[in-house]
Amino acid sequence: MSAADVRQVAGSDLRRTARAVQEAALRWLSRNRAHFLLGDGALAPDGRVNDSWKPLGELAQVCSTLCARTPPSDPVHSCARELLAFAWRETGEGALFLPLQRGEPFATYPLEVYAAFASAGLRHPGYERAAATVAATRGWRLTEQHPTRRLGVLCAERQIGLHRDDHESELLARTWLGGLPEPWTFERASGYALTHVVFHLTDWGRGGPGLPAAVADHLAHWSPAWLVTCLEAGLWDLACEVAAVAALVPTARTDAAFEAALGETWPRIARAQYTSGALCEVDTRMPQAAPSQEAVPRDEGAPGPDGHGFRTCYHSTLMAAFAAGLTLARWDGVCDEPSPSWMTTGVPG
Amino acid sequence: MASVEKTVEEVRIRDVDLEAVLDPAEADGVFRDSRECAALALIQGEGSLLLSPPTPRPKKR
Amino acid sequence: MKQSGASALLQGAVQDLASGVASALRGGGRTSREDLHATVRSTSDLDLAAARVLGADLLLPAVLDGTAPTGPEVDLARRAFDAYPPPVTAAPTVAWSHWALGHTLRRVGAPSGPVPEPGPEPDASWLTGAPWPSLTHHLAVLAPLALPGQDCAVARLARGRTLDVARGFVRAIRRRDWYQAAGAGRWLAVLPDVPHTLGLPSGLDFVELMGGGDARVLLQVRAARLIGSGVSV
Repeated sequence: MSAADVRQVAGSDLRRTARAVQEAALRWLSRNRAHFLLGDGALAPDGRVNDSWKPLGELAQVCSTLCARTPPSDPVHSCARELLAFAWRETGEGALFLPLQRGEPFATYPLEVYAAFASAGLRHPGYERAAATVAATRGWRLTEQHPTRRLGVLCAERQIGLHRDDHESELLARTWLGGLPEPWTFERASGYALTHVVFHLTDWGRGGPGLPAAVADHLAHWSPAWLVTCLEAGLWDLACEVAAVAALVPTARTDAAFEAALGETWPRIARAQYTSGALCEVDTRMPQAAPSQEAVPRDEGAPGPDGHGFRTCYHSTLMAAFAAGLTLARWDGVCDEPSPSWMTTGVPG
Repeated sequence: MASVEKTVEEVRIRDVDLEAVLDPAEADGVFRDSRECAALALIQGEGSLLLSPPTPRPKKR
Repeated sequence: MKQSGASALLQGAVQDLASGVASALRGGGRTSREDLHATVRSTSDLDLAAARVLGADLLLPAVLDGTAPTGPEVDLARRAFDAYPPPVTAAPTVAWSHWALGHTLRRVGAPSGPVPEPGPEPDASWLTGAPWPSLTHHLAVLAPLALPGQDCAVARLARGRTLDVARGFVRAIRRRDWYQAAGAGRWLAVLPDVPHTLGLPSGLDFVELMGGGDARVLLQVRAARLIGSGVSV
């Protein structure tokens, strides 16, 4: 791939494809937003938070990033802003976090969901005071969590101005990604772990402390192979997450193969996406063995408006919109730079 | 007997498309993942890592 | 059915031959060539075809050992070279594997008789600009060209694309394509500037663990280790 080809990536068919995937995904999310409603059981002791707060939190997280990475004039920005406002209203403009926390004072998910809103400027001072009170205890800080999870809590605390003395570098070194694993040990579970480490260190693509150089190098070297094999395996949600991570890697812009892997993700995701805009989590036709040719175009099908279809599609569809947003922001950033070195010198392969 | 076998073999080897053997297409990928025994699993798939797993809840009395 | 039965026979013969070579490589090429000698003495068309499939690697123990190959090894390699000249329309990998066989015959020298003329290098332009996954696939098929100091267009091209081959190695393992992974691993053993984060030595151990039941995989893994240990050629 020549430097000229790389330039083309940023301004051509691939860009249009990524944008089309994103717009279709957002249309589906908007049409199906009623499925994100918390429902009556949201505060019940036996409520299923994975079916209520978790989807709502993911919606807020993704929309917050899309708002941050698009100009207000962009229709995607307006759409994300509207969905975010919808989700915020659903939390009683933050008021529901108080009884939620009162029910489970040491649960981290209320804070993590709230933090997604807070990062977009939607805040509830009363809840923040309550969260800070609990977060000040040794017990909260001593909660035993996997390092990847702990980084997620630190990220959430950061959004409401809480800082603790945890050594993020030590935590990071104990994660799969931060320990710089042999890249060929990648599997699905390590994939989810690595993408979330990156999301937590970058505040979901909005900033954050960022990636240490060694981690950024590791991703620059190996994320193309992880991305391509997720696509080949039909793991659409993980492919989108890895694409989002790749779009956040700062050091790879002179690597044409890296940029090509990110660019070529979009036609493949587009082929897997239903015409409704929904994207399934996995290609169910190849649970074990996937042919090297990826999915053929599919028409509107299985995931109807019923709860089951929503549950199997909402996460991947959110991740598609998220990853497309970060990819487009990366390409726009590339185009804004007057003369990146790869445009003038060319790159191998 | 041996020469008969040999002749049969030689006839059969001519049926092989040696060029296809020397220039094979890439093998189909086999994608499998290691599992955790469910009782021991601390994280589950299907994207549930995105936010924290739910805290264990008290049983309804 | 006819075709698949014959293919299975051929694959079996290739396995036998590869197993002989892999066995000879176990001790660095110096210990045991008996297994190899047992297999190269066969003279049927099937063995000849198998020798053509294994190609230049038939002579790998001699190449890595720096010793002259034995008469039967050279004889089989020589006859395979002569029996299967690539047609004009041959795929580039077919032409290259034939060239590699001729080139290696010339390199090791024949104990007796004339050395074949490998002819000019085939065209390598088809690999130029190949995306890294297909580059790695083709290089793995041409793993016999991965030797220290090997100077040919394919090797020169590979030397400029270490990271691509390393990514291909990762992809091949994730696909459980052990043959491709082993071939890519052998190339990485001769390529410069392999990122240390790849973990090539343990990667080769892993490929052997998972795919070493296939003698062709075992052969490439052992070749990669020998080359990586700095065996002089």
